[in-house]
Amino acid sequence: MSSEQAVRGAIQTHSKRVWRFGLALSGASDVADDLLQSTCLRALERHHQVTSHDRLDSWLMTICRSIWLNEVRARSVRKAQALSVTPEAELIASGPDSETNIFAAEVFTQVMQLPEAQRETVMLVFVEGYSYREAAALLEVPIGTIMSRLSNARQKLKNVMQHDAADAVRRSGK
Amino acid sequence: MKFSDETLRAYLEGNADATEAAAIEAAIETDADLEQRLMALDPFAPVVQSVFENIPAKAPQLDLPKSAAASPVRLSGGPWRLLAVAASVAVVAVSATFWATRPQPMGWAEQAAIYQSLYSPDTIASLDNAPDALDAQFAQAEAQLGRSLNRDTLEALPGLELKRAQVLSFKGKPLIQVVFADDQGQPLAFCIIRQGESAPAKDVKHSALSGLATATWAQGGYGYMLIGSSEQTDLNEPLDILTTTFTG
Repeated sequence: MSSEQAVRGAIQTHSKRVWRFGLALSGASDVADDLLQSTCLRALERHHQVTSHDRLDSWLMTICRSIWLNEVRARSVRKAQALSVTPEAELIASGPDSETNIFAAEVFTQVMQLPEAQRETVMLVFVEGYSYREAAALLEVPIGTIMSRLSNARQKLKNVMQHDAADAVRRSGK
Repeated sequence: MKFSDETLRAYLEGNADATEAAAIEAAIETDADLEQRLMALDPFAPVVQSVFENIPAKAPQLDLPKSAAASPVRLSGGPWRLLAVAASVAVVAVSATFWATRPQPMGWAEQAAIYQSLYSPDTIASLDNAPDALDAQFAQAEAQLGRSLNRDTLEALPGLELKRAQVLSFKGKPLIQVVFADDQGQPLAFCIIRQGESAPAKDVKHSALSGLATATWAQGGYGYMLIGSSEQTDLNEPLDILTTTFTG
């Protein structure tokens, strides 16, 4: 398989996770669309830099983040601040009942309200399943920084989850 | 330093004291196993993942150039776009096929069946199976294998003449091939490999390998295999005797 084929294959396989990462970085689905598109074009331009076909997913994530930091963030940040982080309804997967949907929406909102550094870390580790050291390499920070970002994020997420657990107890007591 | 699951859970829930938390974070830097344990215990990860894993619901739209050699022209519709989509689908299909058909590392049973498939009646017709010759072969094979081959049973298998016991090796493990001739002079084989005590026991499994009927099972750290002379060989009678004799 040529490196171009490998990159095209990786784009097809990982487009959703790159888009999600773009959403986590930017907080806006239209910016995520643009980030994914630019990431894929950039990756195809650079396919000959690929030396190993393993972990092309991390490579795509790195490109996405670099485009965000260097090219998109400055013009999007004003927009992102103004953006209501209320999730766009179609983004949230419909659960079996409305309480599940409400909980999912709360978790979504809480994650999207985290500071950017925590948000990107939560996305890579909790959602995409990268290990702490893989996330550290991808984000170019020490592993201890990854752990403290996750600890801080957990503190904030705890409130939603405890609130939800309390709700569940109240409901079951009815 | 060892950390209990309770300590790790307390850390993940933000209830560990500062010293403990610092110790865990320091240990993770060099301990990938601890990192895996901690990640597996994290109660937040699965919740957040379940919320995000289906976002976006559909694969996002992409406009990709047909080939990286061409300049990135945006294909805004019409047949060219369909062609581009078809091309990317083909790439995915090709990669999927590549993964599905990539060669699996071959197991001992597959290797033994390939080897056995090269045997013909002529291979075994001229073998010297005088008692002296078999004595020497069995002594050597049993020494390699570290256990008895129950020669009495093998010599008494109905309709089969014991021809030879041969020491082979698979990935450094001793593999003994015992060859028989049936009443038409066709070659059959019974193989034993020493797999080590930790090897899992396996029930008898019939399959056709390299065009030969085979039955494999494993017990007590040894793997066993009976190989017929063709895909149609009925292995049941000798198999009953062998599975009763070789129980570990």
